[in-house]
Amino acid sequence: MQEKIKVLSAKQISVQKPLCEEWMDSPEACSGQYARALDPDFRQFISAGESRRLGKLLKRALATSLSALADGGIANPDAIVTGTGFGSIENTELFLDALVRDGEQMLKPTQFMQSTHNTASSLIGINTVSHGYNSTYSQKGLSFDSALYDAWLQFRLGRIGNALVGAHDEMSPVFSTFMRKAGHVKDGETCSEAAVSVLLEAGGERPAMCTLEDLKIVNRPTSGELEEIMSGYDPDAVMTGRSGNAENDSWYSFLRSDVPQLAYKPLFGVSFSSSALGFYASACCLKAGRIPSVLNGGNGDIACRKGILVVNVVEGRHHSFALLKPVCGR
Amino acid sequence: MGKDRSVLITGCGIVCAIGLDKVQVLDSLLSGRSGIGPVRYLKTGHTEFPVGEVSMSDADMESALGIASGTVTTRTSLMGMMAVREALSQARLSREDLNGAAFVDGTTVGGMDKSEQYYLDFSAGNSRDAYIKAHDCGSCSEMIADRFGRFKYITSISTACSSAANAMQLAADMIRLGEADIVVAGGSECLTKFHLNGFNSLMILDRNQCRPFDAGRAGLNLGEGAAFLVLESRESAARRGVKPVALLSGYGNACDAFHQTASSPDGEGAYLAMTKALADAGLQPSDIDYINAHGTGTPNNDVSESHAMMRLFKESLPPVSSTKSLTGHTTSASGSIEAVICILALQNGFTPINYAFENPMEDGIVPNMKLRPDRPLRHVLCNAFGFGGNDSSMVLSYAGED
Repeated sequence: MQEKIKVLSAKQISVQKPLCEEWMDSPEACSGQYARALDPDFRQFISAGESRRLGKLLKRALATSLSALADGGIANPDAIVTGTGFGSIENTELFLDALVRDGEQMLKPTQFMQSTHNTASSLIGINTVSHGYNSTYSQKGLSFDSALYDAWLQFRLGRIGNALVGAHDEMSPVFSTFMRKAGHVKDGETCSEAAVSVLLEAGGERPAMCTLEDLKIVNRPTSGELEEIMSGYDPDAVMTGRSGNAENDSWYSFLRSDVPQLAYKPLFGVSFSSSALGFYASACCLKAGRIPSVLNGGNGDIACRKGILVVNVVEGRHHSFALLKPVCGR
Repeated sequence: MGKDRSVLITGCGIVCAIGLDKVQVLDSLLSGRSGIGPVRYLKTGHTEFPVGEVSMSDADMESALGIASGTVTTRTSLMGMMAVREALSQARLSREDLNGAAFVDGTTVGGMDKSEQYYLDFSAGNSRDAYIKAHDCGSCSEMIADRFGRFKYITSISTACSSAANAMQLAADMIRLGEADIVVAGGSECLTKFHLNGFNSLMILDRNQCRPFDAGRAGLNLGEGAAFLVLESRESAARRGVKPVALLSGYGNACDAFHQTASSPDGEGAYLAMTKALADAGLQPSDIDYINAHGTGTPNNDVSESHAMMRLFKESLPPVSSTKSLTGHTTSASGSIEAVICILALQNGFTPINYAFENPMEDGIVPNMKLRPDRPLRHVLCNAFGFGGNDSSMVLSYAGED
């Protein structure tokens, strides 16, 4: 690859204060079975009329996207790639509920329209008038990683100079109980929501939070394959999807114990898009040059010189590895 | 000559309203037999809308696949398994061969067929909880992939009606970059009450046989089905001693950036997607011998797509047809289903007809009604456009004599 892939900006809406990094030093508590995201004032991004029409997921996707683009100084991204596990599940639920309980009459087109998973990517495309590459992934907790991987390939093929990659999942009370029944959220984990947008650029002079050095995704790796993958990395710390749930945490047992293992899920909760928060949090640490104690189980800050490896394991089978490094010379 | 950007297609499988495998689909295409008719399997009250159903019940498919009854499946995953099985068999791939392969699936409804059946139980009971896990797109793809082998990467693309086309594009990108030697890619989508009612709420369903590119067209007929293709690097195919059935020589993805459910009047997204596909293949418009249009039969799509084709091809517009009046609109699966139809056309030297066309529309192309082309087919273009303006186009090319 010719140019380094830089992370120009990264924005979140989650159970932590939206569109800022206050969580690094004074986090909101994330606890209980189910916690909704803290929404920003959407008026700075969306007109009142549009705001009434759009569901939560779409409003948040627009807010994090427009905010990341403004921060990175890019108006029309070359590529827009989004991950979502359930899409606009609140609209899906309304449509499904009406269909099942009231029959096949009087169903609302807006609810159906917003139920299609690609509405976030296309809404961002429409809003920024971006005619470039546009795609959407829906692979449970691997949705963000899949979207990032696609953008990574587009960069390597030389097709794009920048990309807006995001992951967006909202959660209704009813579907939060389904998430638990299906085992997508486990005992001790808080079922939450996430909207994350990350702006990437190849080369260029714009200031960056960090660089994306490597990205690998492997389904059902053998222990030998895991060992080989890990031998290629020497990070300051590993950003894991550990949550405190024993089964979930056992999926990270292949990691070396002498490298600090960080956890973002206790701070942000669990959703299909939560791995995007792990990526976002890592980029924030590299920008700040330190890993705050809140990610390290309260065991004090860690200096950040070599980089952070973001590891996401989904259902014990899908393994993704994103290596983020500090920008040289800082 | 520039660098060869081709990706080989070494196998494909299809199941849809006009056939349960390639042989049946080819026969229907050659004899112009539509698979659209009254609803048989979907339990809907909307019997006024004709549909293109796969002529097997879920139980029929389970038994054809050797799946024990009582196993958690969805109609989308079952159709996907049927198509993957046929594709792997043609490409002569064993379970072991798939260890290093990737699986990319395009779907949107996922397990919605079961969710709409068991939704009340999800909330009030627990006897159907296993189907909650099958609701999302990703689990559907895993269900299909896991039946055949490990696959080192499994993912799902959900860009509405261009999902399968975009799955094929990601697959080809992975092969071009050496990320995988073999990628099984395509899409699967069953009919559900959910999207039948959704399309009805948007008022784009025709109560009669749909008529793409016809002056009297009044909407689309929904269909269902699955198609998967084995995309492979030249080196891998040579090493395994398998011959390609066709080449994927170029492709493009663009965003119309106009409206969530309508296409722009000038078809900007469609134009850009086709332009990118031709440039990627290193071809001129005059090199294209046939276009399998998205051609849904909605007033909006067919005008928009016509404008895009006329703008790009000008006087060298080749025969164009929509095969959706035969198969119905198979939504997320349509990109790969129509790619397989294009491959059958390339291999057998025919141009599929635009079934049910009668009167030319005022402001559009006149579709192909002639099965035998004037010139041999070397390169064909296959369009798949989705809600939100997710437009994709692919160039499929003749792979030579076997």
